[in-house]
Amino acid sequence: MKRIRTLVLATALALFSLPACSPEVVPEEHADEHIEEGHEGAVVLSEAERAEFGVEVGVAGPGLIAQTVELPGEIRANEDLLAHIVPRFPGIVKSVKKAVGDQVANGDVLATVESSESLSTYSVKSLLEGLVIARHVSVGEAVTTERELFVVADLSNVWVDFQAFQKHLPLLEVGQRIHISAGHGLPEAEALVSYISPVVEETTRTATVRAVVENTDGGWRPGLFVTGRVEVSGDEVPVAIPTTAIQTVGEVPVVFVSDEGGFEPRPIRIGRRGPHFVEVTNGLEPGEEFVSAGGFTLKAELQRGELGEGHGH
Amino acid sequence: MATLLRFGLENRLIVGAFALLIALAGIQSYRGLPVDAFPDVSPNLVQVFTTTEGLSPEDVEKYVTYPVEAAMNGLPGLERIRSVSNFGLSVVNVYFQDEVDIYFARQLVGERLQEAREQIPEGFGEPEMGPISTGMGLVLFYYLEDSSKQYSLEELRTIQDWIVKFQLQTVPGVTEVLGIGGSEKQFHVLIHPENLLRYDLTVAEVIARIRENNLNVGAQYIERNAEEYVVRSVGLATNLEDLEHIVLKSEDGTPVFLSQVADIEIGGALRRGLQTRNGTEEVVAGMVIKLFGTNSSTVIERVEEKIQTINAALPPGVQIVPYYEQKTLVEASVSTVQSALVQGIALVSLVIVIFLGALRPSVVVALSIPFSVLFATFGMGQLGMSANLMSLGGLAIAIGMMVDGTIVLVENVDRLLREGSESMTRKEVVLQACSEVARPIAFAISIIIIVFLPLFTLEGVEGKTFRPLAYTVALAMAGSLIFALVIAPMLSMSVMRRPKGESDGPRWLQLILRGYRPLVATFVRHRVMALGVAGALLALGASAFPFLGSEFTPRLQEGTLVLRLTMPPSISLTESKRVTMLVERRMMKVEEVTGVVTRIGRGEVGAHADPVNSAEMYILLTPRDTWSVNSQEELEEVIRDGVGRVPGVLTNFTQPIAMTVDELLEGVRAELAIKLYGDDLDELAEKAQEVAQVVGRVRGAADVQVDQVSGTPQLVLRVNRHAVARYGMNVEDVQKTVRAAVGGEVAGQIFEGVRRFDIFVRFAPEYRSTPEAIGNILVAGPGDIRVPLSELADIEELIGPRQITREDTQRFITIQCNVLDRDIGSFVEEAQAAIDATVELPAGYFVTWGGQFRLQQEANRRLAVVVPITLLVIFVLLFSSFNSLRNAGLIILNIPLALVGGIVALWVSGQNLSVPASVGFIALFGIALENGMVLVTYLNQLVAEGKPIDEASVDGACLRLRPVLMTAATTALGLLPLLFSSGTGSEVQRPLATVVVGGLVSSTVLTLLVVPALYKWFSAPDSGTVKGGVGPAASGAPIG
Repeated sequence: MKRIRTLVLATALALFSLPACSPEVVPEEHADEHIEEGHEGAVVLSEAERAEFGVEVGVAGPGLIAQTVELPGEIRANEDLLAHIVPRFPGIVKSVKKAVGDQVANGDVLATVESSESLSTYSVKSLLEGLVIARHVSVGEAVTTERELFVVADLSNVWVDFQAFQKHLPLLEVGQRIHISAGHGLPEAEALVSYISPVVEETTRTATVRAVVENTDGGWRPGLFVTGRVEVSGDEVPVAIPTTAIQTVGEVPVVFVSDEGGFEPRPIRIGRRGPHFVEVTNGLEPGEEFVSAGGFTLKAELQRGELGEGHGH
Repeated sequence: MATLLRFGLENRLIVGAFALLIALAGIQSYRGLPVDAFPDVSPNLVQVFTTTEGLSPEDVEKYVTYPVEAAMNGLPGLERIRSVSNFGLSVVNVYFQDEVDIYFARQLVGERLQEAREQIPEGFGEPEMGPISTGMGLVLFYYLEDSSKQYSLEELRTIQDWIVKFQLQTVPGVTEVLGIGGSEKQFHVLIHPENLLRYDLTVAEVIARIRENNLNVGAQYIERNAEEYVVRSVGLATNLEDLEHIVLKSEDGTPVFLSQVADIEIGGALRRGLQTRNGTEEVVAGMVIKLFGTNSSTVIERVEEKIQTINAALPPGVQIVPYYEQKTLVEASVSTVQSALVQGIALVSLVIVIFLGALRPSVVVALSIPFSVLFATFGMGQLGMSANLMSLGGLAIAIGMMVDGTIVLVENVDRLLREGSESMTRKEVVLQACSEVARPIAFAISIIIIVFLPLFTLEGVEGKTFRPLAYTVALAMAGSLIFALVIAPMLSMSVMRRPKGESDGPRWLQLILRGYRPLVATFVRHRVMALGVAGALLALGASAFPFLGSEFTPRLQEGTLVLRLTMPPSISLTESKRVTMLVERRMMKVEEVTGVVTRIGRGEVGAHADPVNSAEMYILLTPRDTWSVNSQEELEEVIRDGVGRVPGVLTNFTQPIAMTVDELLEGVRAELAIKLYGDDLDELAEKAQEVAQVVGRVRGAADVQVDQVSGTPQLVLRVNRHAVARYGMNVEDVQKTVRAAVGGEVAGQIFEGVRRFDIFVRFAPEYRSTPEAIGNILVAGPGDIRVPLSELADIEELIGPRQITREDTQRFITIQCNVLDRDIGSFVEEAQAAIDATVELPAGYFVTWGGQFRLQQEANRRLAVVVPITLLVIFVLLFSSFNSLRNAGLIILNIPLALVGGIVALWVSGQNLSVPASVGFIALFGIALENGMVLVTYLNQLVAEGKPIDEASVDGACLRLRPVLMTAATTALGLLPLLFSSGTGSEVQRPLATVVVGGLVSSTVLTLLVVPALYKWFSAPDSGTVKGGVGPAASGAPIG
């Protein structure tokens, strides 16, 4: 812009003695129109614009902040309802009566063993009512008293053992509700935390968190991998806003609050956080109107003046 | 000189053959000239692009940009290195001096890139040179229209990348085709992390298994029965099913398939840009880049032909639809000047016939135009110039001047033939007539050429824009000189006859002469009156001058409007798209708009490095004659109104070529650019603010603005070394997991024929899309340990840099500023002092001052030397021609008198002072000098013959009325078409034409009235010793 004036002046002045006056610079047409602003820092949007840009307004009020922790877990047979069946005397297995999956009653004969000491045949019996979930024996085998022949489990309820990491431990306590799902269309269940292990496992640094679930239809098969979601707190707070309402200006979280026809960014302090709602402990009073979604448009409008020439390349 | 003339007359056949040869060579050369719209003003640079997927600006700078820059340092011919490190992309611009051959420069850069590659860590990207092209290389944009609506964007992109692109790249002159929009097809392996836990696998293992189960090998050959069998082991995965069946591990013979751990599907690659259309849909698009130095219109033509062929081969319903091409613009601009040329030639010929009143001499004169033009095109071919608005514009400007030499010559021949004694042969008459005027002609034409010298010293954009014009003017004038001195005598002799009757020119000229003689006589008698007229005119010019506005080169109208949207730097691509399409919908409601195609961000790397917050909307318009408004500017208003305000978006209109060139120049638009160099980004930003505040307080400061360098939110995972150590892991274990889980990793490719598509392994979206989810990602350690990321790293959100700019290997921030109502030099001094006094810069930080002001100073300094030198050279030429300081002075006096007309013409027509206008002034100098010379030479001759000065002044003026009027009329009429043209590019030529035409009027009036009047004061003190300036004339040739 200036260069040409120089050129013209230099050529003209060199030859053509002129009064020392500089020609008017034609003002560079500003490419962008002015956008009305309510007062400093506030953005005014018409109803139509709000609709077009998806700016939604809500009223601040109380809400429930549910904080959850997700834990990986596994279905295990309830060890209180589990029997490891061993032979009384070492011997040779004469017959095997039950197979894995068979329902047995307390006292049902599972196998017969001929004792090596007495050469008499005795019965190995189930110690509880339940399902045979493991069998480690075939006819003719020599067994010892250390040898576990059957595992019988009562699967009417099962344990769900979760691995809780260090960071979860302060949040968890016995009695919390836990939602259990196995995915892939498998059943889901609700249960209560019944036990948190007093020690942390040394290699994985996790503690076991346990819940017991009813398993009347047998859907919760031991070994199944599940995910548990624990609602660690579910507090009613005076001001809760959806997470979509939070914008960051500078590095400070703000919400846009309706103010005399405009929206004004207001720094807030965030308390407890849930997956969808957060608690505002400072900056927003109940009853105030705020932008619950689409706040980015407002933030962008505030920043527009700074966009300037320095765009990115 | 006489020998040359004699030679020409005696060897007419040779001269004729020579003339024909040059003409043919000119035609030949013209056909081969690359045709462009405008002169290419792009800087001489080689761009180095490096894509580094997912890396933040700081890391891009550290790992990629720095090594590339370091390698480029010290290259011969290097001007400067500038780099931008963006999210995932490093662009290093290596600027070379203009003289450096582009291929040589690329070779140098290519060699050094090898070094750079070694310095860049494995997996951080490969630096590549940009296309062999310039800012004007983006010649055609297209999108794929799918009327069948049955193809997904990935499929369309595949069609683009593997059919369209490949076919178009085979077109000669096309150097690159870049795709954008849709998504590149990928095979996505979306891992569900709980399944990794279930089967005791790690991400790294999954990636390794995929690689191990996807390859072909060659195993040489076996011989069987005297034949060779090539052994080939085929194990490439070719489809989703193959991937699903990759076995990750086997537990007691039970295989764990990939499909048990991950969802496998076809998806789109991560992208940093997209293309939308009409506010209704996303489209797949591409841009064709032409090779450096090729002919735009031919390349585009070939591309369009190829598109026809490709369209036929595309699946039914899919079609390539070009939405922008430069051909229309090229054709429009070239046709603007071409028609100006043709009309100019016609008008000039008409003038000649009217003035000479006879056909034969007119033919001789008119022939000088095609000869000079063809001579110029021949020269352009030799110099490797392109035919464009400016170079052809130079010819259009020169049309009127090309004939001047020949007019003077032919007029003299005509006169002598009429008046000369019967005793002389025609050859002798012609020879004498030519000899009389040869020297002044040679001088006059040389002076015109010399006058254009300052234009050759222009640098930068103006230089590149106007140097072609200077070249063609100089070439055409040189051609006209050759014609006048060599060919015209031959032609005159062959064509012209002794006129019968004693007509002294056409009747109307006699009438004018009858009025003119008493007028000039009055002026000669009352010299003070002449002085008064001159003075009044000067005063008029001087008083009009301050009213002139000033502007840079008027904006060349490319005929294509682009609305550029700039959104906040933190915006996501999704939101960017939403807002853009919203604006598109608003724009579609404007009546003149038939369509909008928008590019957001960048596609394939090579042409644009725009981030996702920048969108360029190409506006397709109805034909111009159906508009409700008359000009492009007014239409911009209409569209701007139609779009209305868009909250949070900065909009401005631009044009495709201008935009690209600006981008390459990376110039600062403000007068003053204060660059603060330093190392630490935060410190830089802070100090830049301080500097801005200090500068803002200096008197005269306006529009102070600091470049926004930050504003991109980052989620930073800071690995806690103690935590990692406790679990017996390495930092790398964490980093690799994060990269694969969140960023994704390519684990080989799937081949479909020659098409290849990446296998992209990443966590399923729900496991990586929130900070909480990322914190829950399990990192595998030694043994069976699985630890959530949040145990190993602190996760924080902060605002990071959006880009890091560096110049000459140092980070910098620019503070822009304009200066009002005071001299910039003193402003800089004061501001510098203020900065030194108040801003404490850490060691290693420094400030430089640049911007337009620097260029302006340079231009000032250059012109301050060049313009006086030019004038001096002209003066010396004049002096050597006339041997009289006074004569030379009188002729120089014509210049200010001519300027007056130019200034007034600009003022009256409401135009601004601009670079083209000043080029007009320069041309005007030449014409004014020429007129003065012709007259003064003649007056000298008359005086030398012994006429009293007063009488000689009047007689000479009357005798020279015809040639002076004629040269003025031809020049002015030659420019008329440019003056009234409204075609593409006319906005640049118009100020130039206005100045020349206006100046001609004042200059002619003054030459005819004031110069004869002032002649007495400026003639040599002792008229007896006057040599008469021109050799042959001094020898006492019989004149009049």
